[in-house]
Amino acid sequence: MTDEKTKTPETIDIWVAGTEEPQFSPTDEGAQEIGLDESESRLDEQFGRVVSDDYVFDEDATDDERMIVNMGPQHPSTHGVLRLQIELEGEIIRRTKPIIGYLHTGMEKTAEVLTFGQGTTNVTRMDYLSPLHEELAYSLAVERLLDVEVPERASAIRVLMTELNRVASHLVALATNGMDVGALSMMVYGFRERESILSFFEKTTGLRMNHNYIRPGGVAADLPPGWKDDVAGLLETLPVKFEQYDDLLKENPVWTSRTRGVGIITAEEATAYGITGPALRASGVDWDIRKAMPYSGIDRYEFDVPLGENGDVYDRYRVRVLEMYESLKIVEQVMDSMPKGDYRIDDRKVTPPPRARIDESMEALIHHFKLFTEGFKVPAGETYVAVESPRGELGCYLVSDGNARPYRMHMRGPSFANLQGLPIAMADSLMADTIATIASMDPVMGDVDR
Amino acid sequence: MTSSPSDTEQAEQVAHPLQDFADELAGAVGGTVEIAFDSVKVSVPAENWVQAHLTARDDYDLVFFSFLSAIDWARDVAVGDPLADEEVEERIEVISSVADVSEGKRVTFSCDLDHATPTIDSLVEVYAGANWHEREAAEMFGIDFRGHPDLTLLYLPDSFEGNPLRKSFPLLSREVKPWPGKVDVEAMPEKPSTENPGA
Repeated sequence: MTDEKTKTPETIDIWVAGTEEPQFSPTDEGAQEIGLDESESRLDEQFGRVVSDDYVFDEDATDDERMIVNMGPQHPSTHGVLRLQIELEGEIIRRTKPIIGYLHTGMEKTAEVLTFGQGTTNVTRMDYLSPLHEELAYSLAVERLLDVEVPERASAIRVLMTELNRVASHLVALATNGMDVGALSMMVYGFRERESILSFFEKTTGLRMNHNYIRPGGVAADLPPGWKDDVAGLLETLPVKFEQYDDLLKENPVWTSRTRGVGIITAEEATAYGITGPALRASGVDWDIRKAMPYSGIDRYEFDVPLGENGDVYDRYRVRVLEMYESLKIVEQVMDSMPKGDYRIDDRKVTPPPRARIDESMEALIHHFKLFTEGFKVPAGETYVAVESPRGELGCYLVSDGNARPYRMHMRGPSFANLQGLPIAMADSLMADTIATIASMDPVMGDVDR
Repeated sequence: MTSSPSDTEQAEQVAHPLQDFADELAGAVGGTVEIAFDSVKVSVPAENWVQAHLTARDDYDLVFFSFLSAIDWARDVAVGDPLADEEVEERIEVISSVADVSEGKRVTFSCDLDHATPTIDSLVEVYAGANWHEREAAEMFGIDFRGHPDLTLLYLPDSFEGNPLRKSFPLLSREVKPWPGKVDVEAMPEKPSTENPGA
């Protein structure tokens, strides 16, 4: 103690402006230092602009040189409660193991105790960013077993709402992807524009999320008065905002260097792993359920399916942006050609009697009551219906044995399959690219775990 | 599952666009075709399960693996309604869905397994994506997928016992707390006495 006290402190040279500049020793950054003799391409690799597969792995690396990093389940960039175990060798990821189930609530089991009419309240809570698609897949499956066809207006409303939902969901994907690589303004803008769509949803369905709006037999309510003005307003403002995002991201060197060549998935890997949606199309596979197996008359409207080439984070981002334009194209056509008619099927077996009838007829009241307590019986059979959700193929495998409740319901969640492909996308890439890659797969844990 | 009369009528009227393709595929994999409600289902015996998928992938270009799951056909039902059809045989039915990614052909393969000890070969070697789906089916239905690289629990905690999606498994949350609405807020009035009607 006393020795240290008596030790004279090292003198610190302070350079006073105007006097002669002292010789500063070069900073010692240790392993972090980028040597002067590094080639241009090596720098590109280090910054993640180029990912080549010729990283030199030391096959004799001992366990001491490998490290397992646990990420999540509460890491903010894992989009929910996803946990990753990442095995690192230096900065390079060798293996990734996603661990899921933190949000598992057994919704497929719950579906077996709910009537077919109540089922939509259950499925809408699975993928909370695209609830309308979940409801649509389920309703289409029930309708197919019932062998009924919904009125044209109901189909058109369904297309209108789901396509707007796609834009809202892609906006969140962009916002979070931006946030994860440091473009915080993108986060604010994305959520702001999404809110304008959610306001329209609230006006139409009564809720911002978990709408229970699309139901077997049609939709819950007709579009509100003045809906055309609202939709026209969205169609006018949103493309302008999208262009601003392009200014912000498309050519931005920080954004492109963080996303180009990062998290690559090839077309073969994507199909074998069942990866769908923008993640599949970014790899150049022209597969969109809306084109291949059209539902709700969506083949009546003209739209293109944007494709990527490289299957990297940047392409997935571009595909999403272009898809938003296409969705708005569909919305515009639906708006202009909205058929007149009923918004739900005129089949008293499935739909309750109109509100006015309940006031004057006891039978209508009883009918209404029975429909909501006992539900309607669905003929025995099984079917699989898929729709194109913002994340990919969202399917509902529905089995009925002739009762008022499904005997079995399985939802094929696109995030589940997409997340399974995450280790492929992350293999041999840099640790720093992890969050950019996760965000680009756009997993929704409610959809993964169900 | 027997198809409803309206459906068979419909099938007679218009042949499904995939009818020929399904017949050919079923012939190649040694299965039977059932087209109902616009879904093509090919039932194959358990020993042909992997070979059928291999044939579908390599010879029929069904390269896209959509999902794999199972259905528990059981008479011991703890949750939901008991089977309406008394004739149904007790079994575990594994279903897998594959598709091409060009023309929109989609086929569901199905295979019936023994109810007590369902065992089937793993598809991981054919479709890498089957991995998680099989783990899910294994823990939910108690199916043993032979040759699966890592058949550990996927969703459920490590100490969990039982197979939740089996029909005999109770929905515990509802055992503890009945559905809201099933419980009366206040007791129902006493039944009027029948001894002295009109009193």
